[in-house]
Amino acid sequence: MSIERSMKQYLDDRMESVRIAARLLLASATTSPRVGGVGECTIHIVDDECAIEDLCQLMERMARDNESWDFFKRDAVMLRDADAILVITSLRCKTDPADTNCNMCGKLTCEYLKEAETLPAEPGIAYPGPLCVFRANNISYAVDAIVQQSRLLGIDYGVFWSAGAAAMRSGIVPKNTGFALAVGISVTEKSPFRDIPKKYDEINEQTMNDRIIKRLWPQFRSIYS
Amino acid sequence: MAARGMKDLIENGLDRAVELMAVAAHNSFRFGNRNTIKMVSLSKDDMIEIAEFCYSLGDMSPLAARDGRFLMELVKEPCGLILIGDKRKSDLNYNCGACGYRTCAEMNRAEEMESLTARGPSCQFKNINLNIAANAAASAAWRLGLHCRVFSTLAMAAFALNKLEGVDLAVSVSVSVAKIDPYFDRHQYWTQDHWDETFRKEFPSFMRGFIGAIEE
Repeated sequence: MSIERSMKQYLDDRMESVRIAARLLLASATTSPRVGGVGECTIHIVDDECAIEDLCQLMERMARDNESWDFFKRDAVMLRDADAILVITSLRCKTDPADTNCNMCGKLTCEYLKEAETLPAEPGIAYPGPLCVFRANNISYAVDAIVQQSRLLGIDYGVFWSAGAAAMRSGIVPKNTGFALAVGISVTEKSPFRDIPKKYDEINEQTMNDRIIKRLWPQFRSIYS
Repeated sequence: MAARGMKDLIENGLDRAVELMAVAAHNSFRFGNRNTIKMVSLSKDDMIEIAEFCYSLGDMSPLAARDGRFLMELVKEPCGLILIGDKRKSDLNYNCGACGYRTCAEMNRAEEMESLTARGPSCQFKNINLNIAANAAASAAWRLGLHCRVFSTLAMAAFALNKLEGVDLAVSVSVSVAKIDPYFDRHQYWTQDHWDETFRKEFPSFMRGFIGAIEE
């Protein structure tokens, strides 16, 4: 077999492994604990390159919506290199408090939380709260299940709230979603989620390729041809 | 090496397992890359105190009463209870809005609401970090072959009894090496009469034959 053909086969198999791994991670997240044993989380796999790009572009736009969200641009660059993104949602935290009167939201009782005024759906607000914290905590279990399973499978992972917020804004998750987080996964030799240089939103593999190879090579070619 | 009996092996193994769970929780993923959780492994005396407190809440919460009775049974065999807590205020500056305030600074300045179960309002991401730590501990327990369950009720009771100082939120992970998994299918804590009565009250239409049938 030629080296080119075997490399193509390897790349195909690598992507197939991502698709299988993403579904195994979804299984792990689905069966993780839920407070009160009430099902309320959904897990959505985004493994289409165009859909990942859409999400990353939205994250970059959201970075302008709130001055604390400048790191969304860096997250977007990291997630462009992800092979798949799993978005984990909590569907009850906005509309159906847990009736435990736990006071984690600071309203003392769930009845007061139901009556509380929610923040408006403005660009600078990612999750219009107050939410039922007790319910939204379910996402922790699902996220950690993905983290644990990724470690077992040897998959690189990164946890991002920016992508969860962008997924909510883009409408790819159920409309009841009150809170969402995302986990990017990667099956590559170097994790795209670790060892991130400073100013990564400006200086990264894509911009380096664009500036150095894609700019210089055509000039070189036209001059030395 | 001297021979060691099963009881000795199991009890010492449980102690090591609880330590490993604590390590897993301590090193778990967290937003902000800062580990601010606090943790304690409670003694059987603490657990009995928590069980009695839970049972005393029976009028307000049948769930707490059930878990109190359950804990009294659990302590009869080797078991452990890890309590994990964290502060409620945000040091993350995400300004995400999930807490109901526009900025973390606004939430941090808001009036603190005291209750037996937790102090609020609290940062959603602090809660996420806390519960990820709990899941990491539970996951370690699962891999070590322990019986395990995450309990909010026991954590809230422990919080009320101030078993972990300097925290506003708490969650607990209970583990056991009992001969039968004690954490699931806990039918022994309810009588058949009580179960029937509660079921009829909560789901009155279950036995109806068709819509419009007369309820007796």
